[in-house]
Amino acid sequence: MVKAEVIIDEDLCQGCGYCVEFCSRGALKIRGDKFTSKGYLLPSVEPEKCTACGVCAWMCPEVAIEVYKYSPKLVI
Amino acid sequence: MSERIFVEGNVAISWGAATAGCQAFYGYPITPQNEITEWFAREFPKMGRIFVQSQSELGSINMLYGGAAAGIRAMTSTSSPGWSLMQETVSDLANAELPCVIVNVQRGGPGGGPIRHAQQDYLQCTKGGGHGDYRNIVLTPSSAQECCDLTQLAFYLADKYRNPVLILSDAIIGRLRETVELERIEFGPVPDKDWAVGGKARHRDGRRHLVEHAGDLYGRYPSYRALLQRLQEKIKEMQKAELRYEAYKMEDANLVLVAYGYTARVAKEAINMARAEGIKAGLMRLITAWPFPDDLIREKASEGSRFLVVEDSLGQLIEDVRCAVAGRTEVHLVGILDRHIPTDGGMIMPDKVFSKIKEINEAESGGSRGYHE
Amino acid sequence: MNEQLKMVREKVAGRPKLLVPQTAGFVYCPGCQEPLAARIIAEVLEELEVGGKSIGIFDIGCVSFLLGVLDIDALNTPHGRPPDMATAIKRAYPDNIVFTVQGDGGLLAIGADPLLGVLTRSEKITIIMLNNTVYGTTGGQMAPTSLVGQTTTTTPEGRDVTRFGFPVHAAEMIATFKGVAYCARGAFNTPANYQRTRRYMKTAFQKQMDNIGLSFVEIICACPPNWHMSPQDSLKWIEEKLILEFPLGEFKNVDRLE
Repeated sequence: MVKAEVIIDEDLCQGCGYCVEFCSRGALKIRGDKFTSKGYLLPSVEPEKCTACGVCAWMCPEVAIEVYKYSPKLVI
Repeated sequence: MSERIFVEGNVAISWGAATAGCQAFYGYPITPQNEITEWFAREFPKMGRIFVQSQSELGSINMLYGGAAAGIRAMTSTSSPGWSLMQETVSDLANAELPCVIVNVQRGGPGGGPIRHAQQDYLQCTKGGGHGDYRNIVLTPSSAQECCDLTQLAFYLADKYRNPVLILSDAIIGRLRETVELERIEFGPVPDKDWAVGGKARHRDGRRHLVEHAGDLYGRYPSYRALLQRLQEKIKEMQKAELRYEAYKMEDANLVLVAYGYTARVAKEAINMARAEGIKAGLMRLITAWPFPDDLIREKASEGSRFLVVEDSLGQLIEDVRCAVAGRTEVHLVGILDRHIPTDGGMIMPDKVFSKIKEINEAESGGSRGYHE
Repeated sequence: MNEQLKMVREKVAGRPKLLVPQTAGFVYCPGCQEPLAARIIAEVLEELEVGGKSIGIFDIGCVSFLLGVLDIDALNTPHGRPPDMATAIKRAYPDNIVFTVQGDGGLLAIGADPLLGVLTRSEKITIIMLNNTVYGTTGGQMAPTSLVGQTTTTTPEGRDVTRFGFPVHAAEMIATFKGVAYCARGAFNTPANYQRTRRYMKTAFQKQMDNIGLSFVEIICACPPNWHMSPQDSLKWIEEKLILEFPLGEFKNVDRLE
């Protein structure tokens, strides 16, 4: 079961909404209830929908997004 | 080790630059300095150095900016209209504190002007020329030998102060052939160019270098004010240490001629003619038009000497002389309207200067002060 | 044998190494896509392993704010002049990778003189033009690439061809020069276009590394404030209008100049 994590840097995000636009899974939404310190609308992440494709990170002009994938690995 | 060559002033500048270790020359065709550009086009590829004919004077000066930013000794050359085109970037060079050498072989103006000699760029060159507060060191050769030696000096001063240095010549000095002793002059050490760009891997600390023309936006100075303070400091340092002039028969002179470039040679001859008749004339020949010898002129004015400025313009150098004299005594002019023929080939001739000297000498001394034309 | 199934956390996407870490955002407007150009430059230089020998030259304009964003040697310049600096620096250090980043106004209007210069002399540099069809930094005046009918602060009634002509197609024009080894136009309006543009960028730098000729990449970037649109509508504008006027793709790709 792949688990994904999307971290958005709240100091860098400018609420442009491209990540929401480009996410093919609808895993990011601007609900209107979260703000950055400058008053920009922060997106919220629904990690269950995320497949860790990384597109939101590529397309974020502020380079504010990091995407992590959790995958099961055999470890000694 | 020296070599004796017989060349025109323009070519002597090229020789001087090559001798000083100039690595790159960028130029655009414009009369009367094409000999400089063409020398580099022929000789630099043979020496494994860089020559580029740019697409305009804007191109030349901005290539010079790039070469200077890369930490190499680089030069460009132009004449008056091209010098005007270059001003925005010269202002940038001064802010970015990039060492560079620029040659202006003056021709007539304003506008397209005649392609022959004149000395009408003095104010533009000595007051910075571009927008903002800065000064170029301005070297004014009067002979082919000086063209060679002052060019070598220019590279040293540019590196020493991280400032643009201008060689201000004119079409007569540029095209006059004379003997030049070509010898490398040693000036002493210059600061390391450890700020230059060239790729992070090239730098000792492996960290990136930024070269920018704002001053305070990227941390080079902590504030705009700090940048201005440094520029002012630099202006004072250059004024204090780099003034150069020749005092010809000045010890007992009571009529001081002030001139540079070709008119200085004309003035010398006129002074010789005057001395033969017992007139105590002398010449303050500028070798640097900036820094300017304010203090010496002020001193002579205080002693009561009168002044005669000889310049091939409507009156530019005379403004600096009047400023230093500050109304203490008379300042006269033999200018471009006194050329021996009214065409653009006319020159200021020694006999004209000599008759002016006589006229001033015979006039009631201690009479009217201030401005005289 | 103590083998266990563990969930291992891997980074899939994030800040490229050559983008300097930041604590505060760029000065760019929300929705401006110009920083994405810096991102792909950073990724490409890293992949090609030339970060240590790259020198970036940034023009005046919105692109000037990219000075300092990349961890490489860099310069800013008077308006329009980067190709001249690039000429001098590339000739002084031919083994270095020298590139310019300029806007449409900076390259095609005030920068026309240096642009023609490097095209004429076939300098082996890389020119990157970020096309947002306006002079952005100064508040949205008409630029050489503004569309016919586009409203800008200097064409308040829309760009009128009888008074101000037609938009300039930089990539098509530059591809006609013999000294050009590679010429392409990309955009960031979809992830697919982002990836294509990134590939164009990599090819462009590879051409310089292979010492073939001048390489040029034009990238259409959204400018929501000066287009008077939301970021989302800007993406639609690019798809429906700008790509029609400025088609994407590679216009020239050669391994030898002749």
